[in-house]
Amino acid sequence: MAKIGVFICHCGENISAKVDCKKLAATIAEHPGVAVSVDYKYFCADPGQESIKKAIRENHLTGVVVAACSPRMHEATFRKACAEAGLNPYMCEIANIREHCSWVHTDQDMATEKAADITRSMVEKVKRNNKLQPIEVPVTRRALVIGGGVAGIQAALDIANAGQEVVLVEREPSLGGHMAQLSETFPTLDCSQCILTPRMVEAAQHPKIRLLTYAEVVSVDGYIGNFHVKVKMKARYVDMESCTGCGDCITKCPQKKISSEFDCGIGKRAAIYTPFAQSVPNKPVIDKATCTYFKNGKCKICMRSCQINAINFDMQDEFIELEIGAIVVATGFQVQNNAVYGEYGYGKYPDVITGLQFERLASASGPTFGKILRPSDGKEPKNIVFIQCAGSRDPSKGVRYCSKICCMYTAKHAMLYSHKVHDGKSHIFYMDIRAAGKGYDEFTRRTIEEDGVSYLRGRVSKVWPKMSKLMVRGVDTLLGKPVVIAADMVVLATAMVPQPDAKEFAKTIGIAYDEYGFFNEAHLKLRPVESSTAGIFLAGTCQSPKDIPDSVSQASASASKVLALFSKQTLEREPVVASNNEATCAGCWGCVLACPYNAIEKKDILDRSGKLIKRVASVNPGLCQGCGTCVTFCRSNSLDLAGFTEKQIFAEVMGL
Amino acid sequence: MTIQETYKARVKKLLASGTVKMVIGYKPGTTADRRRPHFIRTPEEADQLVLDSACITNLSGYLLSEGLLSDEKAVAIFLKPDGIRSINILAAEAQLNSEQILILGFDSNDNQVTALEGEKVEEFTTLIESIKEQAPEALKNPLLEQIEGMTPKERFAFWQGEFSRCIKCYACRQACPMCYCRRCIVDCNQPQWVNTSSHTLGNFEWNIVRAFHLSGRCVGCGNCDRACPVNIPLRLINAKMAQEVLGAFDHFSGMSHTQEPVLASFKKDDSETFIL
Amino acid sequence: MNEIFEPKIVAFVCTYCTYAGADLAGTSRLKYAPNVRIVRLPCTGRISPMFILKALQKGADGVLISGCHPGDCHFTHGNYHARRRWMVFRALLEFTGIPSERVKYSWISAAEGGKFADLMNSITEDIRKLGPFDQYNALIKETEAPATF
Repeated sequence: MAKIGVFICHCGENISAKVDCKKLAATIAEHPGVAVSVDYKYFCADPGQESIKKAIRENHLTGVVVAACSPRMHEATFRKACAEAGLNPYMCEIANIREHCSWVHTDQDMATEKAADITRSMVEKVKRNNKLQPIEVPVTRRALVIGGGVAGIQAALDIANAGQEVVLVEREPSLGGHMAQLSETFPTLDCSQCILTPRMVEAAQHPKIRLLTYAEVVSVDGYIGNFHVKVKMKARYVDMESCTGCGDCITKCPQKKISSEFDCGIGKRAAIYTPFAQSVPNKPVIDKATCTYFKNGKCKICMRSCQINAINFDMQDEFIELEIGAIVVATGFQVQNNAVYGEYGYGKYPDVITGLQFERLASASGPTFGKILRPSDGKEPKNIVFIQCAGSRDPSKGVRYCSKICCMYTAKHAMLYSHKVHDGKSHIFYMDIRAAGKGYDEFTRRTIEEDGVSYLRGRVSKVWPKMSKLMVRGVDTLLGKPVVIAADMVVLATAMVPQPDAKEFAKTIGIAYDEYGFFNEAHLKLRPVESSTAGIFLAGTCQSPKDIPDSVSQASASASKVLALFSKQTLEREPVVASNNEATCAGCWGCVLACPYNAIEKKDILDRSGKLIKRVASVNPGLCQGCGTCVTFCRSNSLDLAGFTEKQIFAEVMGL
Repeated sequence: MTIQETYKARVKKLLASGTVKMVIGYKPGTTADRRRPHFIRTPEEADQLVLDSACITNLSGYLLSEGLLSDEKAVAIFLKPDGIRSINILAAEAQLNSEQILILGFDSNDNQVTALEGEKVEEFTTLIESIKEQAPEALKNPLLEQIEGMTPKERFAFWQGEFSRCIKCYACRQACPMCYCRRCIVDCNQPQWVNTSSHTLGNFEWNIVRAFHLSGRCVGCGNCDRACPVNIPLRLINAKMAQEVLGAFDHFSGMSHTQEPVLASFKKDDSETFIL
Repeated sequence: MNEIFEPKIVAFVCTYCTYAGADLAGTSRLKYAPNVRIVRLPCTGRISPMFILKALQKGADGVLISGCHPGDCHFTHGNYHARRRWMVFRALLEFTGIPSERVKYSWISAAEGGKFADLMNSITEDIRKLGPFDQYNALIKETEAPATF
């Protein structure tokens, strides 16, 4: 005989403002099998949970329905409370009367009626719930970190320093990511390379870290604790073992006019190259697209120049397979293509550049060795206009969100410029100054007050060339006047956007992403470093725009999540898995084909003499992820899914 | 020699030589125009064999009789092209090993019975491909088109009329070679997905489920239709489903013994114009 | 009898996309018609055609099936399987006179709270225009009538 306890939460007034909780409790109390039906202000709070436990013990409840917020919010909380009171946690179900009812409806009567339907149907379901036990699965204690920027490096080092194995995959020839491209970093103005390169070297030399550069993750199968990952090692045409990184090949390469990706097109590189002087590993790769030999079949000068024969033009892409327990995704961002702003002339006028290009100009190891020079004529600009929000917070042409770092780096650019060019003048067009962060506001104030940078609150409408100048027309909204500035250079504070292949990549590894292509966290506030897929964590700008401290913090947080996962030999998994009734199974194998996880095997049923009686389907609960696709396929209704059984769903529908 | 006599001789030879342990064919039925299945184990029993245009039942379902194929000995069976397609589906759904089946193929048109070349199911592939070519035309049916032309209300009323006669005898299920489940969903009472009393609602549900389970699997042999004691045009629904899977997924049931079931497979670019 | 007809609509949704989308509509405090009752399932792959029939038997005037967009399925391709099934089942229902206006299918992601709210309103309005599913209701009623001889 079912004895169901129903606990109706007011959620302060979040629910009770639209749902008559007293009336609801009274209605549900009448429902067959309901032993307790009560309402309370906050069931998720301690006294609330205690009252549920008390009711379970006193009334010997066989099942619990908490009518409250979404199960995605507090299902775990209430299941735990039930377990503490001695009730199997899977005998607890949540009726979502907040997100799906009180928050979205205005009519109190109709909302109350709907809440009653929702609750009743969950009562009917819970009557047919089964006592389930968590499934134990082994954990492979090896982490995969995808992306070798500052976030990836940090995550890899944190995990490795705790004694666990890490595979660090970077698709470029070197570690470093965007941070390696930066000159000085706000708000302390310490040199980016000076703080990053030691960490790159540490990661590369760490005994627990296996570094795979020029490599891409092409597939991820499996599940938390047991991922199977396939990585493509792109052909470098340079033997990593023997190459000493002397650089002779680079010096001899006849193709030297290739626009450098690392220098954002401001500098040049050879066809055989390392992205930058401090690359890790400091071993070159041949860019097949621009190499003379690959284009014309003749050249091989690099091969002749190499004294240890490390160059091999016959090298092929290779694929390696990895067994992985947890994954940290730190694939970073790209800067938005500013060609969307035709009126700013990016791409048309060489002296209109992006913030990242300015970083390369200001960098001591950059193409101009740290001198601020115009790309067009190599002269020192005496007047620079910076345009903030060139892409961010602009739903019409750019992106709706704030890229978060542009206010700070623009202030930094203007400051660096005033330090390098003492008679230079800079103007910054801005919408707001967003300088929230430790030492950030002080930094922007310094830019304005000590370095005399002129901030103009308003947008720029047009940039056009006049003689050797760039004329910038904008508006100063504080003065209410249009302004025209004759500048020598214009720097756009370009929006941070997801990597061009972010959505494709998310599909490859099976995580969710938002409308832009940033990867979704499991919960914005409470689970900000977990992806929607168990065992896959997020770090850095692949999740949202971030500065370096935030990226590093998130990387360390992800690493701690990975380490927590690796702290046990086995992992408890939700017992929501399929099972097969072998007596009724017709052995048609449709389920075997339909299963996305190859979790269903063909099984022979033999008699005592070993003679085959029949062949049936058999679900491997370790591999089953609980989607239920097989159950729906099964014509004879032999397959079923724990937690969402045919009986439960039937009852749920009939309870509506 | 008539085809019947040719085949009779062949059957005797197959049994006498021990090539097959049994031949499933036809013998005279209770009335002159009816035939019944004939399970021939000895050459002598073959004398009763009949092969004429009245032999219309798809016999393939008998192959699944408990234990018949478990000794892995060959069985020969008289099949028309639709029955040959059934063998492919049953093999694709792991119900039998097509290697074990020797097909005595025939077809009948205008009361004329003709022999089909081949013994193994793969040998009929070209024939089945040509049937697929003609399928869009062959599946057309005036009554089906008439139903499609109705308003949903009229269609509902039409089927309500038909299904109200259903007595849930499950003769359609029994006659169908594809209904081989050990336990049919309608016999499942935990939960009771289909109302078992023979009121129209339950009849509706039963017939919808039946048609759904046969979607992409029915070969249109008509066994169900002929078995129905209250003459519900069951074949119409099956034909409609066959049209649907052919049009939407280019799936024609029983093309080969390795064909993937249409509802256990998918293509990433399957049509989805109906999804909001 | 000039009361507005309030249709009863049952929605079968997957927990990872559409259920989360409905949660987002809630957290965004979007307002929509209260006629839809949601049944949560792990994946669209779990949504059996039987559910639709049972919802109709329970007196639903409309049914909605919704899950993750193609390519976004948490279970990699449960929704692709579901899409095929729906295609076939939809044709079957249509052919037997259960109009496709009453059984609808959609893709709603976890980010599409707005789409969820809009769909709840439009589907409620559409079914309201169609009115109660009288033909089916008559069949249901018949099952409740005492046997006559």
